[in-house]
Amino acid sequence: MNVPAQISQQLTQQFFSSLEVGLVVLDENFNVEVWNQFMQSHSNIAQQQALGKNLFALFPEVDEVWFRSKVKPVFQLNTPAYIIAEQRQYLFRFDTYRPVTSASKYMHQNVSLFPLTDASGKVTKVCIVVYDVTDEMVSRKQFADANNKLKRMSRIDGLTSLNNRRYWEECAQHEYKRLGRSRGQSSLIILDIDHFKKINDTYGHPAGDEVIRYCAEIIRKTTRETDVCGRYGGEEFTILLPDTDAEQAILVGERLRRKAALKSVDYDGEEIDFTISVGIAEFHPRFNTHTEWLEAADKALYRAKQGGRNQVVYE
Amino acid sequence: MALPVLICDDSKFARKQMANSIPDAWDVDISFAENGEQAIELIKAGKGDVVFLDLNMPVLDGYQTMEIIRQQDLPCMVIVVSGDVQAQARDRMLKMGAIDFIRKPIDNAKLMSILSQYGLYSGDATATKKQDTEKLISVEDKIDAYREVANVAMGRAGEQLADLFGEFIKLPVPNVNMIESNELQMAIAEIQESDYVSAVSQGFSSIGLHGEALVIFNETSFDSMIKLLKYDQRQVTEELEVEALMDVSNILTGACLNALSEQLSTVFNRSHPIILGRHCDLEEMLENNVSRWNRVLATEIAYEIENHDIQFDLLLLFPSDAVDNLMKASSGRRYERTGTN
Repeated sequence: MNVPAQISQQLTQQFFSSLEVGLVVLDENFNVEVWNQFMQSHSNIAQQQALGKNLFALFPEVDEVWFRSKVKPVFQLNTPAYIIAEQRQYLFRFDTYRPVTSASKYMHQNVSLFPLTDASGKVTKVCIVVYDVTDEMVSRKQFADANNKLKRMSRIDGLTSLNNRRYWEECAQHEYKRLGRSRGQSSLIILDIDHFKKINDTYGHPAGDEVIRYCAEIIRKTTRETDVCGRYGGEEFTILLPDTDAEQAILVGERLRRKAALKSVDYDGEEIDFTISVGIAEFHPRFNTHTEWLEAADKALYRAKQGGRNQVVYE
Repeated sequence: MALPVLICDDSKFARKQMANSIPDAWDVDISFAENGEQAIELIKAGKGDVVFLDLNMPVLDGYQTMEIIRQQDLPCMVIVVSGDVQAQARDRMLKMGAIDFIRKPIDNAKLMSILSQYGLYSGDATATKKQDTEKLISVEDKIDAYREVANVAMGRAGEQLADLFGEFIKLPVPNVNMIESNELQMAIAEIQESDYVSAVSQGFSSIGLHGEALVIFNETSFDSMIKLLKYDQRQVTEELEVEALMDVSNILTGACLNALSEQLSTVFNRSHPIILGRHCDLEEMLENNVSRWNRVLATEIAYEIENHDIQFDLLLLFPSDAVDNLMKASSGRRYERTGTN
């Protein structure tokens, strides 16, 4: 189709103006050759003021060293390069498009850098395309936050705020896999409140819950940040101690036992005394699954119970 | 007497392409080898005074073959023909006695200048098809033709990467497989050793041809990558990681797609890249992201930087409805480059 050149140019002008993306063309010295309507409106720099000016002079906030390094492969390799908003929120600090209802003050931008070649195929200019992705990024962040919150909630035991059984097992399984590769030394502790049924029967379930909570508190205060503590069920707790051999784990177990035995829980004016039994198993390559490891600790716990309770036994 | 010339490449398509680039008037007797082991035998049998040698091959690769030629002082002139023309690859081969390099797809002008420079041939450059002029019909032939296209594209990407890192990049032969998209995880797990990965995806599309490029990073690679890329260390690690992720995938995908579009004579539109996941379980990531495409043509390659514990994989994925056109374009291109130059 033959379009008279004049109209074509006018159309092109309108076309560029109506595009809701920023279009900039830079020469090799980063001087501006094209500056579309979007760029004018958001930067408050008119075309006449922008053309021929150096980009870094127009936008002192653009990190020159960084941006040059992004543009370099476009010139050298004749390939496009991309900057995403996760990397830097923006290239040009523009206010967000909707000044009232947008959740962000500044625009989030995805930026494409395209090579433009001359007749001989040499890259002589680079075209910058700026996309406004504010809403996408804001909702993605909200989604991620909500997901994280859900994830946290689904991992926590309501009564004790320790990890719940499902998540604790996931961690134990993960640690088991890691040990299979790296051959470290880690230990498992499983502990149980002695004669818990009697506490419930004597003082009532709310008192029993208080004892469980108190026991969880002891566990929390006695373990390190890297240890993974969980409520395994009823009055049973499990602790995963990464990079800890049986000897050190026994020290932890003994400390837990002593603390439980020394203090009593104050519930509604009643002083409730309680003790715990502790079983410990160090990781061994003979375990075929993480469950076998846990079973070994459970066997030790059983022996602690058999041996008269209020004691620490290791497998 | 005709000069014994040996063409050694694991790709049937590449062997044909090389044969078709040889000038008609050059009096030669051409033999073929699929790997270095066969090549050595043929050279010893006097079939290879001049050897066109590929670098990335199974059984015995180009480097190992060259090493044997040097050690045993076999009487041949070796010209390397490869998609991967990294400076270090070049140096290594030239040091071992190769006389020159030709970039794939065969650069005919370069070929002619080498032949005349070494006094091998300096006549008419016209080259017409000699080998197997019927079309590539069988599926294997087509896949082989595509594999060679992918090989060149991924080699080119590796070369750019070597420039970026200033290190030699180890390149295996790419795997090409038709798989179900739910098998993708297994395919990746085969080349990816780490349980935890980060990945960047970019879509590309041209008329009748569309696909997706995935770059998958091994969890343990980041520290060394950040060091090699010489970033401003004052930035927080998290930002540097995203930066490295984007820089490497920009270069890899960019160079690979450039080489693909050049070979297939097509222009690709490219989507903005997105980060599919960071530090996440490979299985979980794919489960969360792969939702369509029942059958895909998957091309995988694992790039590795020796001594730096850096590894990442590039995957080119074509959905089944794009495969026909891809094969056609790959097999068809052999008619373009042959002829006078």
